[in-house]
Amino acid sequence: MSLQVRSARAGRVSSRLRHRSYPKRVEDFASDSMIELRGIVKRFSNAAGEFTVLKGIDLTILRGEFVSIVGKSGSGKSTLLNMITGIDHPSQGQVVVNGMDIYSGVTESQRSRWRGENLGIVFQFFQLLPMLTLLENVMLPMDFVNRSGFDDRPQRALELLKMVGLEKYANKLPVLVSTGQQQLAAIARAMACDPPVLIADEPTGNLDSRSAATIIELFERFVAQGKTIVMVTHDPSLTARTHRNIVIFDGELIDEAVSKSLPQLRHRHMIEFTKLAQKQLFRPHETILSRNQHVDHFFMIRKGHVEVVLQKRENREVILSELNPGEYFGEIELMRGGKSIANVRAGDRPVEVLALPRADFLRVMQESPITAESVGQVVQKRLEQHRVVDRRKAGRA
Amino acid sequence: MSTSLIELRDVVKIYSTAAGEFPALKGVNLRVNSGEFLGIVGKSGAGKSTLLNMINGVDQLTQGEVIVRANGKSISVHALREDERALWRGKTMGVVYQSFQLLPMLTLVENITLPMDLSDNFHPRQSKDRAMHLLELMELEEHAKKLPAFISGGQQQRVAIARALANDPPILVADEPTGSLDSVTADHIFEVFEHLVADQGKTILMVTHDTSLSGRFSRCLTIADGELSGKTAPADGPRRGRRKR
Repeated sequence: MSLQVRSARAGRVSSRLRHRSYPKRVEDFASDSMIELRGIVKRFSNAAGEFTVLKGIDLTILRGEFVSIVGKSGSGKSTLLNMITGIDHPSQGQVVVNGMDIYSGVTESQRSRWRGENLGIVFQFFQLLPMLTLLENVMLPMDFVNRSGFDDRPQRALELLKMVGLEKYANKLPVLVSTGQQQLAAIARAMACDPPVLIADEPTGNLDSRSAATIIELFERFVAQGKTIVMVTHDPSLTARTHRNIVIFDGELIDEAVSKSLPQLRHRHMIEFTKLAQKQLFRPHETILSRNQHVDHFFMIRKGHVEVVLQKRENREVILSELNPGEYFGEIELMRGGKSIANVRAGDRPVEVLALPRADFLRVMQESPITAESVGQVVQKRLEQHRVVDRRKAGRA
Repeated sequence: MSTSLIELRDVVKIYSTAAGEFPALKGVNLRVNSGEFLGIVGKSGAGKSTLLNMINGVDQLTQGEVIVRANGKSISVHALREDERALWRGKTMGVVYQSFQLLPMLTLVENITLPMDLSDNFHPRQSKDRAMHLLELMELEEHAKKLPAFISGGQQQRVAIARALANDPPILVADEPTGSLDSVTADHIFEVFEHLVADQGKTILMVTHDTSLSGRFSRCLTIADGELSGKTAPADGPRRGRRKR
């Protein structure tokens, strides 16, 4: 494209998105947060009546986190993503991204400009403009928000294409490259304005596994550079590589301590546990369970770490194990009956656990044999460990 | 003969792959008159998309010539430099694909305005009015300020058609435009094309694998193994097209 033509084009494109005001900064925003959803409710009305898609979502995503969101079709995951991108708006609640309240007192076009500068978005079907070359597609967001020096944009676009390995296809139209390459170009476009956050909706949903692997590696590189990535996906091989995996079920978030502790559970059981379990807080080193105490809860760790300790003679103690968020305890006693076989206490930081009543735990274990089996294996392993330590220590005493 | 809008002369396209050379088009001759609604029907891999990519100059041909006589000029498409060809294409041909590829963060009217802003065919003040007019043509004016996520697939395809018409090209090329739509919606899209030919004087080339549509084009050809069969020249013009045995 000749420079003259490009100049005229870019001027027209950016003039449509030139606005003076911008979303406002909020005061109460933690400096390590990147995205906060606060009490988000989304209702849709249709001929059949009103339908609540999101039922009060609270979620904080930290700077530099790589987060996946999973959920069945219709669970509300795309709507949730649309709340973060500002493509849709909540019926109730507040969304704060990078310190800015993106819905209060902001017009659609102000939000467009904000979005262009703060978010890169990648879609399942790429959404490249068919009449523009890959290079022109990548330049478009820079034209939109008038970013980078005008003459520098083609060079920057080329560097972005190089980053995704497409420099030799820069002047091709999208229809002439593979779907995997189209998605790579869409990722280059999403990064055009160097946004702090990348949002991806099923980015590999339409790709073969090799292209999917290339894309996930690229995402990991962005995260290493400090970007925050939120990705909706169906693919378990992708969720395994993110820092956090958030499960949404029927418009509600499953507590991550539940989904991480018992990943084999059905989502409906996970949400049941999320609602039935009580949050309990413990100070550093505070005892959570004492040896020989009757255990009537299943404990899942949300924050901090706990120590499982055996008290030996002469007041000597041995730490059997340290458990971290997403791990659980109390299962041995619940599965086998009996009293606690060790002391469990908070580590050197405050601890938050979810405590699920015994009856609920046992009922769901009956309904989910695959989970019961997995918990059973952990019981076996821990008992084995317990026996070894107990015997050795007993010998020495 | 020189009156036809589009003329393909012995067009050959050979792809080189790791497995060797693959001839996708084996000497295609075709003439299309202004105002035709031409359907090209064939199976997957028959050469349909390659043929369209030759006509709109998106891909290079191996041999032969494509001539388009539109907007008062006779252009040998593949003799143009790449940047000239892009400008020429923008004014001459609108493209519609199976997947709509609307920009999700722009409203419908912004999606249609974009190609006008990117070309120098319309004054920016005119382009928005024109986009609204095109949305009216597609019976979507009430949705103008919505984002694509909030309308149906059929409506999105109509927006994509409006976008293809933005710079008022005389020719539309459509590659399986109804391929991802249910049959009722597909039928509606087909009616939109019929209307564009009858009332707006557009010339439309559409490729599809759906043989049930054959009877609805003003002319329908079949493509198989890179060769066209059927009436490769318009009924009212002298026939030059190579007939298959």
